[in-house]
Amino acid sequence: MKNRLLAIAPSVLAVALAMLLGFVVVALTKGVSEAAGAFASMFAGAFGEPSRVDELGVFAFLRPWGESATKATLLTLTGLSVAVAFRVGLFNIGAQGQLVVGALVAALAGAHLALPAGLHAVVALGLAAVAGGAWASLAAWLKVRRGVHEVISTIMLNWVALRLVEGWLVPGPARAQVEGNNSINGTDQVLPGAELPNLFGESSRLNAGFLLAVGVALALLFFLQRSVRGFEWKVAGLNPHAAKAAGVPLERTVVQAMAVAGACAGLAGAVLVLGTEHRYPGTISAPWGFDGIAMALLGQGHPLGVLASAVWFGALRAGGTRLQLAGIHKSFPELIQGVALVLVAARAAWERLLARAVRRA
Amino acid sequence: MIALEHISKRFGSCVALDDVSLTLSPGERLAVVGENGAGKSSLMNVLYGLYQPDVGQVRFGGETVRLSSPKDAVRRGIGMVHQHFALVPTLTVAENVMLGHEPLRRGLLDARAAREEVVRAAKAAGFALDPDATVGGLTVGSQQKVEILKALARGAKTLILDEPTAVLTPQEADELFASARALSEQGTSVVLISHKLAEVLAFATRIAVLRRGKLVRADLEPAKTSPAELAALMVGEGVALDVPTGSGVAAGAKEVLRLERLEAKGLARVSLTVRAGEVVGIAGVDGNGQRELAEVLTGARPWTAGTFTLLGQQRSALTPADCHALGIAHVPEDRLRDAVVKDLTVEENVALGRHGAAPNARGPWVDVAGRHANAVTLMEASDVRPREPLLRLGELSGGNQQKLVVGRELQGTPTLVVAVQPTRGLDLLAVAEVRRRLRQVADAGAGVLVVSLDLDEVRALADTIVVLAHGRVTGTFARGEADERELGRRMLAVSA
Repeated sequence: MKNRLLAIAPSVLAVALAMLLGFVVVALTKGVSEAAGAFASMFAGAFGEPSRVDELGVFAFLRPWGESATKATLLTLTGLSVAVAFRVGLFNIGAQGQLVVGALVAALAGAHLALPAGLHAVVALGLAAVAGGAWASLAAWLKVRRGVHEVISTIMLNWVALRLVEGWLVPGPARAQVEGNNSINGTDQVLPGAELPNLFGESSRLNAGFLLAVGVALALLFFLQRSVRGFEWKVAGLNPHAAKAAGVPLERTVVQAMAVAGACAGLAGAVLVLGTEHRYPGTISAPWGFDGIAMALLGQGHPLGVLASAVWFGALRAGGTRLQLAGIHKSFPELIQGVALVLVAARAAWERLLARAVRRA
Repeated sequence: MIALEHISKRFGSCVALDDVSLTLSPGERLAVVGENGAGKSSLMNVLYGLYQPDVGQVRFGGETVRLSSPKDAVRRGIGMVHQHFALVPTLTVAENVMLGHEPLRRGLLDARAAREEVVRAAKAAGFALDPDATVGGLTVGSQQKVEILKALARGAKTLILDEPTAVLTPQEADELFASARALSEQGTSVVLISHKLAEVLAFATRIAVLRRGKLVRADLEPAKTSPAELAALMVGEGVALDVPTGSGVAAGAKEVLRLERLEAKGLARVSLTVRAGEVVGIAGVDGNGQRELAEVLTGARPWTAGTFTLLGQQRSALTPADCHALGIAHVPEDRLRDAVVKDLTVEENVALGRHGAAPNARGPWVDVAGRHANAVTLMEASDVRPREPLLRLGELSGGNQQKLVVGRELQGTPTLVVAVQPTRGLDLLAVAEVRRRLRQVADAGAGVLVVSLDLDEVRALADTIVVLAHGRVTGTFARGEADERELGRRMLAVSA
């Protein structure tokens, strides 16, 4: 238990210190009381507003939670995508491209298949996962067959996916059919039966996607720690020579892990479309896939660590929109995330400090 | 004159050195012997500035000196060649030797001067090294020579050799000792850390024995002692170190392995057989096809021609997974690369290779309890210490890691055992234990093939000795049939 606490300490301390640094910068530029107010409103936007319970009832919490959860869901799934690949020693920089491909497939399946409600959503999710997995498998295939480094191929496949989907399909063949003079960017609206249901009705955007993300994290945790295949992935990631000598088929491992990684990112795209956008919008503006790299690193590649950092930063981002009222740009939480990432990269320094502290205690 | 005075060093609750005092005169050849963990390396690390003693001091010619880093030690003329080399594999010999103190001309690297200096140093030390060869492509033995050159090029007047012959052939070892002796006659002090008593007795002018951090003797003269006395001082009285020679091969024992005119990269027309109950020792100078042969036999290298018959069945290919299925056990040369994973726990490493079957797994899932129990049993049987299955493997000493690998590979009933340098770097007790285990599985009916650069080991273990030179079999001898000279000639592929 003590070891486990020591293991997560660098990440927790890095995030805490990044928050503190953010606070100090705001306090220096705007004054301490404004900074405190801004942070308070950010936390209110992220976690709920006890002061407005009389006015809004339970939605004083559920509404902010909904905003936080939609962002946390996407960060969790893309973070898991990067973390899974990292487990076998691969750097998946391509979660964004896999997400884009998954989102498009989910949008098309959601709008054009005729299936019973509920089942429709499940099928659309499944197809998006398969599409994301297939897209990522291209990089694995290039690595296994041609020795192309996955960092290069996944970065390039991001651009291929983006241009293919947002440069051609969405504005072109897949563009929404519109009657009259209305012009819509993006694909057709998905059918109601394919939408991910909101858990608390219209007033909160908290939808089933969050449960899906938590479920995927738990399933991956169980798979990686308790299955024979998961063990093989770990060995392959830590020492490919020993893995090979132990009879682990390395090439198959690379392809499978990349496919699972891509499936996670593809699911993120599907949740974005089926849960909140309800169509493939003209563009997906946020770099969820790249934020997944940060989540994987802050979460130290552990599924629950990824989930925890995604929930925290998803919440901060949801609260970040409130910061605009205080005259602070809404991307401030992303700044905190960036600083935390730099600090967690200085892991060796943390460990030395912690070791000294433990010795003294 | 260098004096280490009343040195004590603890690591946590473990006492590595306990009030050790030792002197070293110019031109002296001091051997420091002791079991793994006796404190030999710790003591030398104090002298090399890697460890700071808790108590005690280091004096150079009467002057007390604080060695706070190897840099200080190098400035005082100490040079150390570690068991694990610190070389850049992609650079040439000359570049490695000059790394860190390159000769400059007008502020730029003078590559020619550097190269010439290395050639000169190599000649002086009696090493045949190509200064332009890439270090990564050299044999382990040659890489070690580069390490020694590095120390000499930095002006070492005291040379510490930590287990230098663990990786060398007899001829290479002789060469090494000849040049070390020549250096000492020119005034360089040499400290030899070794388990091998024969070479200690042949080389040293004085022998010091450490046991569990304490200095037992510091004044043994090689002429007035014996391997038996040394061994007794090292391990304590009454410990069995000899290996049974085994019952030999039963007449008509079935063949486990037959290679006929096998061709592979690095191997030419290799024919040999291993019968059930037989230990076949592969002798040879490092880099003459032993590694390639072991790779072929463990599924890591394809062969291109010839026949490969395993358990009576001719095979056209072999994968590592096939090997596991067929019961081919593999104790590889470089365990940290090929056999274990440092960052996994001991019990996960025990399971590795059999991780998909009982008792380590149940169906597609890891059987945590079964794996743990199996690891406990194996650690007990193979005497792996400390007995903590959840420890990270990297925390075990090298000797205990090797005991674990040997124990794991010999678990169950292997049909063929391929062991490469199975006792490299182990202490006397561990060596005896590993050899006993190999003998045991052979007596239980396995075919055992041992590749070793230590000719004494091959002779001690093998029922049949096969000599490899330049990837070819240059001789096959039954136990006791060949003398050392004849084997040496075959190893160098020169006719008598």
